[in-house]
Amino acid sequence: MHIKYKLILPLVFLLSGIMLYPFIFSLWLSLQDYRLTRINDVQFVGFENFGFIATDQSFLNAMGNTISFVASAVIIELILGLSLALLIQKLLIFRGFVRSILLAPMFITPIAVGLMFRFLLNSEIGIIPFYLLRIGVSLDWFGPELALFSIVLIDVWQWTPFMLLMFLAGLEALPKTPFEAARVDGAGRWLTFSSITLPMLRPVIVVALIIRALDAFKVFEYVFAITRGGPGNSTETIMYYIYQTGFRFFRMGEAAAASILLIIFILVFVILIVNLSRPKVIK
Amino acid sequence: MKKLKLSTAIAAIAWATISTSQVAHAGEINIIMEEVPDYDIVAKLTDQFTEQNPGITVNFDAMPFDAMRDKILTSSLAPSATYDVIIIDNPWTDEFARAGFLEPLDSLISSQDGYAYDDFVPALADISKVDGSIYGVPYYNYALGLIVRQDIFDSKGLAIPKTIEDYMSVVKSLTTNGMYGAAMQPQKGYKIMEEWKNWLYANGGELFDDAGNVIINNQAAIDALNQYIETHSQAAPPNSANWGFDEALRSVSSGKAATMLSYNWMLPALNAKGGMSGDLAGNFTLHEVPGGKSVLGLWSWGITANSDNKDDAWTFISWISSPEVAKQRAIMGGAPVRNSVMNSPEVWEKGYGKAYYTALADILDGSAPLSSGNNAEELIEIVGTELSAAVTGQKSVKEALDAAANGVERAIK
Repeated sequence: MHIKYKLILPLVFLLSGIMLYPFIFSLWLSLQDYRLTRINDVQFVGFENFGFIATDQSFLNAMGNTISFVASAVIIELILGLSLALLIQKLLIFRGFVRSILLAPMFITPIAVGLMFRFLLNSEIGIIPFYLLRIGVSLDWFGPELALFSIVLIDVWQWTPFMLLMFLAGLEALPKTPFEAARVDGAGRWLTFSSITLPMLRPVIVVALIIRALDAFKVFEYVFAITRGGPGNSTETIMYYIYQTGFRFFRMGEAAAASILLIIFILVFVILIVNLSRPKVIK
Repeated sequence: MKKLKLSTAIAAIAWATISTSQVAHAGEINIIMEEVPDYDIVAKLTDQFTEQNPGITVNFDAMPFDAMRDKILTSSLAPSATYDVIIIDNPWTDEFARAGFLEPLDSLISSQDGYAYDDFVPALADISKVDGSIYGVPYYNYALGLIVRQDIFDSKGLAIPKTIEDYMSVVKSLTTNGMYGAAMQPQKGYKIMEEWKNWLYANGGELFDDAGNVIINNQAAIDALNQYIETHSQAAPPNSANWGFDEALRSVSSGKAATMLSYNWMLPALNAKGGMSGDLAGNFTLHEVPGGKSVLGLWSWGITANSDNKDDAWTFISWISSPEVAKQRAIMGGAPVRNSVMNSPEVWEKGYGKAYYTALADILDGSAPLSSGNNAEELIEIVGTELSAAVTGQKSVKEALDAAANGVERAIK
């Protein structure tokens, strides 16, 4: 065997152990009626779990909630992150300090962020509803109308810094020459931004979007810490659905089937994003 | 190669150490507990047990409720149990017993001198019986009662409501000028199910009929849910659609709500001088829930079937749940489960007073478990989700209860 293959063997073994085996086991699980409380009575059911999951209203609702969450959170984070990056790039003093402050939320564990906002927005003891009420605004942050939006806002608070970090690095790596040429040609700020900055930043935006979207699909902690998917199932996300099916109801076969469907959905999503974001070649 | 062998050996020793340290050795028992005030009492009492049984070391692993089910499951699926003694929430009993996770206790109980098993409140003891075998003995109850601000009721000349209609009328009349009649807990899942089921009982409803058919969408259930929604919209604080136990308790203890349906043992906590209620301490009283039949919750002591130390485990359980220690536990503030404890003048005097124990005995007398049977945890979550959807207007009452009935049918298969 050539040395280059030998050198990657340890990594292949490692990845096989930590990724391939669980994936194949999940595939096998998804075809069984496998319950943790009936471990001696596992039965092959073919694609029955997939049939159930694909038509289960709770799963479809969780999928819808997750897509709404990902779309809203990532778009807001993209706009805010890019705006802040453009502002900070121009900042001449306290640059390091401002960066540190803005990046801080990213370093808090999400379950702690969930608990923190659970109390901050709590209608009985929360400081935010308390001061809002003083100016005559009464909002039920975790009521059926606002609960999913509140979860989006919490995600935006925590993960906009990630976008900021990516865009700041991207902006600082851009060559200066096109901007100088544009200035010489008399281009305004908006024209410079839309015709030079954005197109040149496109690869960074695509990578940031994909990383954030994939991460946002996994949203679980805020839901677990704050709403448990409620009221009703208005904030039930796909990860919470899978957790509940597998680890609360012990229906591992169905949970595995839901996970496989999620993987397929995410794969399609990533391929679409990558294809759509390729620059159009003008012939 | 030598280095590889050495590191492999170190890894193997480390793994072996980690693995074996989780399983109790002979003369040692591991107990999983929920971090609640009753656990603190048990931990204090256990010093006496250790003195009396120097050959048995008791290790507690206390944790929040959310972490317990997973830990018990993984321990029970392993060849040797991590936990020799577990506490079992009542919805888990059938599921764990049928899965073979629990050791039947019948012969141990019958051969234990002076244990007085019949002294346990029958409604509590029956929860741990599955297919004629006993899989647990009661640890503490969490039956629901009606907690009221007696000073408000007295000043307005209101009688304690005995029916759900009376309750609705009273709490609506109390909802004025920033005061709300009822701090309710319509949070999705367990909380709303636990609260609403009292309303279901008051309307003569149940989850299943005698033949085992699902009847959660019958007229009694529809009436109960309509009444619950009406009360929540007219007598509960605004923006409380996602409230659970903490929020409701805070609302009552801070004087913003006049009543709540809650665990009976919250009464002493609310009335404690210098406690959560501040100047309001002493103004709270406990009564049977309107309708007279309350939802019953119970934690039981059980022994895992794959424990290597079953004898020691039973020695501990039979000691901590014995009549003498049960009395001490109640005097220290634990929720009683034995009739002899609730009827003991010594407990009345040193505990929370005769009125509390008498009210508790009345509550337990007419109570029934939140849910029992296989997959009760799943059932509670399904129904609780649909109830929450109805309360928040996402579904009509009929749609929600029909969906709940379909979900329950599937869950119990």
